[in-house]
Amino acid sequence: MVAAAPGVEIGLELRARLADLYCAYDDALNDGALERWPELFTETCIYKVIPRENFDQGYPVALIYCESRDMLMDRVVALRETALFAPRIARRITSGICVRAVGPDGLHLTASFAVFQTMTDQPSELFLCGRCQDRVVEDGGVLRFAERLCIYDSTIVPTSLVYPV
Amino acid sequence: MSAQPASATREWPDDGCSRVPNWIYTDPQIFARELERIFGAADWLYVCLEAEIPNPGDFKRSQLGNRDVVAVRGTDGAVNVLVNRCAHRSMQVCTASRGSAKEFVCPYHQWTYDLAGNLLGVPFRRGYRGQGGMPADFRTEDHGLQRLSTTQRNGVVFASFGAPNESLETYLGDSMRGYFDRVFDGRDLVVLGYMRQRIPSNWKLMFENIKDPYHASLLHVFLVTFGLFRLDQQSAVEMDETGRHAVLVSRRGAQEANEATAQMRAFKRDFALRDPRLLDPVREFPGDATVVLQTLWPNLIVQQQSNTLAMRQIVPLGPHSFDLAWTFFGYADDTPEMRQRRLRQANLMGPAGLVSLDDSEAMLLSQAGIDTNDDETCLVEMGGRTVGNEPHMVTETAIRGFYQHYRSVMEL
Repeated sequence: MVAAAPGVEIGLELRARLADLYCAYDDALNDGALERWPELFTETCIYKVIPRENFDQGYPVALIYCESRDMLMDRVVALRETALFAPRIARRITSGICVRAVGPDGLHLTASFAVFQTMTDQPSELFLCGRCQDRVVEDGGVLRFAERLCIYDSTIVPTSLVYPV
Repeated sequence: MSAQPASATREWPDDGCSRVPNWIYTDPQIFARELERIFGAADWLYVCLEAEIPNPGDFKRSQLGNRDVVAVRGTDGAVNVLVNRCAHRSMQVCTASRGSAKEFVCPYHQWTYDLAGNLLGVPFRRGYRGQGGMPADFRTEDHGLQRLSTTQRNGVVFASFGAPNESLETYLGDSMRGYFDRVFDGRDLVVLGYMRQRIPSNWKLMFENIKDPYHASLLHVFLVTFGLFRLDQQSAVEMDETGRHAVLVSRRGAQEANEATAQMRAFKRDFALRDPRLLDPVREFPGDATVVLQTLWPNLIVQQQSNTLAMRQIVPLGPHSFDLAWTFFGYADDTPEMRQRRLRQANLMGPAGLVSLDDSEAMLLSQAGIDTNDDETCLVEMGGRTVGNEPHMVTETAIRGFYQHYRSVMEL
């Protein structure tokens, strides 16, 4: 379900298409289909994973700082081909998707996310949680993220962030 | 996981430092001794950057060993480093991680301290209507916040729990001071942001990682592939006289295959970035070094990896866990392009870093192997069994240097 903030007029069809986009995003990550993940962004997208303390205080450093779909693809290839990490399963859950504003530059949305992590032979644990601040646009007949900021609440990341959020 | 106590049967496996026993990474008594002798003695510990607390009243919390401190700029402009513990009931008087304050008021009974840690007031000190109150001989002067010895060099704040018998400059030594001043050359610094990760391994493995150039060419496929740090490049490992501080220095090479890359299974000749802006390093320091990683005993790594600059502060939490706190910075006179370059290259660093990710995962796996083989030893003899500077990367000499100093401090 995609909600709209008070005063934001948005039709049911668009809400359904947004729900599909958000579902496709979680699916790509939860299926381990990282190659599908960049396709959900525009070519000139901004994607960042940033601790809340940096975001709130205006510090620009982000754990992942991508300024194009190509950079997302580079990260996927780097993870597949060059990174060493212990095997794990990450499960991303999105909740409270809400259209906050409709502007000439696209739809502005927020949503909460939680990522659970399961390491081999270990119980599942909450890994990160926070909110997404998104801008979604029509791009060649489909909806894509022109901007996605994943702002996580904790200061501390447990060991390492392998997969995108 | 072993909880076996240190005892007379714990003996270092050789008379040098080319063997490291696994129990130094697992034993709670060893950890307790480290807190006392390494993090709680007269060594200079990294606290923060002055740029984080530019104005009087600005403060920042920091963790030194297992102790929480507040670095605060006093009304006189001086930096005070105060232990975050009320003299009354040991409550933390400062709960924000950073901010600005006129004074520190303990939330519990409102004991109030000034920015230098002096106790200003105790509510109901004289009681109420002649009843209660503190004893007549209670002196506020005796109950301030503990204030540490503090020193600064070119914008970097250090503190010590003891009475240091040497200045920071002497503590660093000539050669290490030179590398330190290469990055901290007196220009104003600008904080770009923070990252922090909790790694389930012993804190010493972090230092060993940054003192070990041998792994960089093998583990870090990303670095190797793009010629950012390779064993066949002109490089150096240098230490101070004691072996406790070190630098790894590397010069960037071309992305080409040769005799050395044949031994690096990691090397991927055909991997090109679709968006090359990620790796667009610009030379900004004198000399031809492109990477200088400096490890300063006992809690700091100064990282200059191409154009990313960061302090990596080691906060030991127990034998099996530490926090790595990253403070990324640049210079006040950076161009917008350089600022952007630093932010892009930060993709290689931190908990999600395309390079650093390998290290945090390697430490996790190392500790898992150590925990289940607590009576074994690690072998540290790449490049020989002695300690000395080397003009190449095929050596673990700086790890040996670290343990040479460690054994002397710990009396092991």
